[in-house]
Amino acid sequence: MNLILIGMNHKTAPVEIRERLSIACNEGFNPLDEIKAIPGVGEALYLSTCNRVEILARTQEEHPDVEERLKDLIFRHGNLGEEDMARCLYVYRDGAAIRHLFRVAASLDSLIMGEPQILGQVKEAYRLAVDHQAAGIILNKLLHRAFRVAKRIRTETGIASHAVSVSYAAVELAKKIFGTLKGKKVLLIGAGEMSELAARHLIKHGGDRIFVANRTHERAIQMAADFQGVPVDFDDVGESLREVDIVISSTGAPGYILTYDIIAAALKRRKNRLLFLIDIAVPRDIDPRAGDIDNVYLYNMDNLQDIADDNMQIRRGEAEKGELIVAAEADRYIEWFNTLTVVPTIVSLKEKAMGIINLELERSGGWLRNLRDEDREAVEIMANAIANKILHDPVTCLKEESQEGSALAYVAAIRRLFRLDGSRDNE
Amino acid sequence: MDIDMLLYRGALLAYLLSTLTYIFSLLIRRVSPARAATWVLTAAFGLHTLFFLGQWLSKGYNPFLRVHDMLSFFAWVMAGVYLAFQLRTKTRVLGAFVSPVVFVLMIISSVGIGGPMTVPEVLKGGLVTIHAMLSVVGEALFAVASVAGLVYLIQDGLIKRKKSNKFMKLFPSLQDLDRINHFCLLWGVPLLTLGVLAGSIWARTVWGSHWQWDPKQIWTLAAWLIYAVLLHQRLAIGWKGHKMALLSVAAFMLLLAALLVEKSFFTTIHRFY
Repeated sequence: MNLILIGMNHKTAPVEIRERLSIACNEGFNPLDEIKAIPGVGEALYLSTCNRVEILARTQEEHPDVEERLKDLIFRHGNLGEEDMARCLYVYRDGAAIRHLFRVAASLDSLIMGEPQILGQVKEAYRLAVDHQAAGIILNKLLHRAFRVAKRIRTETGIASHAVSVSYAAVELAKKIFGTLKGKKVLLIGAGEMSELAARHLIKHGGDRIFVANRTHERAIQMAADFQGVPVDFDDVGESLREVDIVISSTGAPGYILTYDIIAAALKRRKNRLLFLIDIAVPRDIDPRAGDIDNVYLYNMDNLQDIADDNMQIRRGEAEKGELIVAAEADRYIEWFNTLTVVPTIVSLKEKAMGIINLELERSGGWLRNLRDEDREAVEIMANAIANKILHDPVTCLKEESQEGSALAYVAAIRRLFRLDGSRDNE
Repeated sequence: MDIDMLLYRGALLAYLLSTLTYIFSLLIRRVSPARAATWVLTAAFGLHTLFFLGQWLSKGYNPFLRVHDMLSFFAWVMAGVYLAFQLRTKTRVLGAFVSPVVFVLMIISSVGIGGPMTVPEVLKGGLVTIHAMLSVVGEALFAVASVAGLVYLIQDGLIKRKKSNKFMKLFPSLQDLDRINHFCLLWGVPLLTLGVLAGSIWARTVWGSHWQWDPKQIWTLAAWLIYAVLLHQRLAIGWKGHKMALLSVAAFMLLLAALLVEKSFFTTIHRFY
């Protein structure tokens, strides 16, 4: 198969080394042409993100020095000593390279497993390869398969479906309480960076109006302006609980800002509408006993972090299902690759022709039966002759090509044109 | 077997299928089977509707006077109300609780369905039909409210536990469940009121008085009273969410228990045929 994948990721290389590589390519220099110039390299893909650098190449024949030359290239770009770099690099070949690419595309190999950006980055890398005419028949198929594997794993496993950051965990909880965040009012107590970030998340998911209360009122006015929201007097916080649906509190106050009594009284006035309180302050701003009140849902920083951690655990479990899909899809790809040789293709081409002849003879069985035996035989012989004549030139051409070198492109074209792999591989 | 029975059996089978698919969804804790189950339930509801239409057109008699028909009608209303909610809110997995109830009602009803019909003279007349239909629709709405209440209590518990949980992700949001409670009470109470009124007017014409202290009548009045109070508290005082869910479940359980006691220990003039 002659596939080789060389790379490093967040697990194998410290950040200083990855940094050097990505700085090198951010300078507008794309090594694809350089990779292609290495003798023996037929197709190539170059993927570089903050967390990884990968080169995938296909050589036409066995070229023992391709691995060394690719490594050389990476070393030169990293501008680092060979020894430093060699420790960080991994090299995969053929089946292992395919599985690694599938795992990367499906985000099984990411720092935050299941994050969605990596697939876009792989797609971009593939687009560049196509632009540089570095992608041929093997990489085209391989990358399209990788995209499909990634999609399958996303939909068939829960790898991407559980919030693993604190703010997403809060948004998911809000959705489980309110259904939709559309039209929901959010009160920020304390105008810190944390509450600002959380508020932006809520707005992104439909949160409607933002109220801001802060000990120094000027800061509240300023931040409310940022969100096109409403500043609230710090002393009136209890009063505004009547209106809002979600509260994010993050002041540096030593005691409780929202006591049990304030919340219980507010709930009565808001006619028991559901209230979601998020306390990200340390020490806490909201009396923890408020969580016992009916229709009040109180979460603090630790609760949210626990949920994010638990969800990471769930994702890890789901990733195991993803690995099974990767293994199965890699096997299917290898199976397809193995059909790309001349002899089996000629055999299946002839089988297909025979199949069509037999089917048509069967269909015409009605009137064929009226013929004399000799005539019927003559018809069958003629049908076979026509099929053989039609196939003669393509088959001869395939044989000639295979003697001159790689007939891969011809084989792939024939298999596609005559649908020799059935319809499932023709996506 | 005539076409009506074919429709009925088809509906029964589809209800079973949707119940199993919903349960499968709970077992693997994924929403995708529930999505399929919703379509199966819709198909079941469609077949069931055709069955009622067929009965009504072909037989010409009031099809809601036998206990079996009544149960089947009750199941039909529950399925219909649930499906209507499904259209408007993402309450998909709620079906995993509605569908089994519908299926069990259908199984009980299937025992006597299609048998010979002998309705006594006193039970003929439009008012009886109106009385029976309105009351059943009202009570079916209360049943949906209590199922939604049950799921609310589970979901509320999960959110208050503050642990990551796949069921929490699967179950509908609290607000949507509470909205179902609101709708069911808002429509259930007036419909049952009209049903009871129609019944009492008709009772006067055949039994000579509006009220006979019959166990069944007392039960119905109790049910009406409980739900009317709940609706009042909900609209006027603002009882919502957890408390309302709890009370809806409790009220339905209480009435179910009372119905069983009534059936086992008392005789009533108010019965189905």
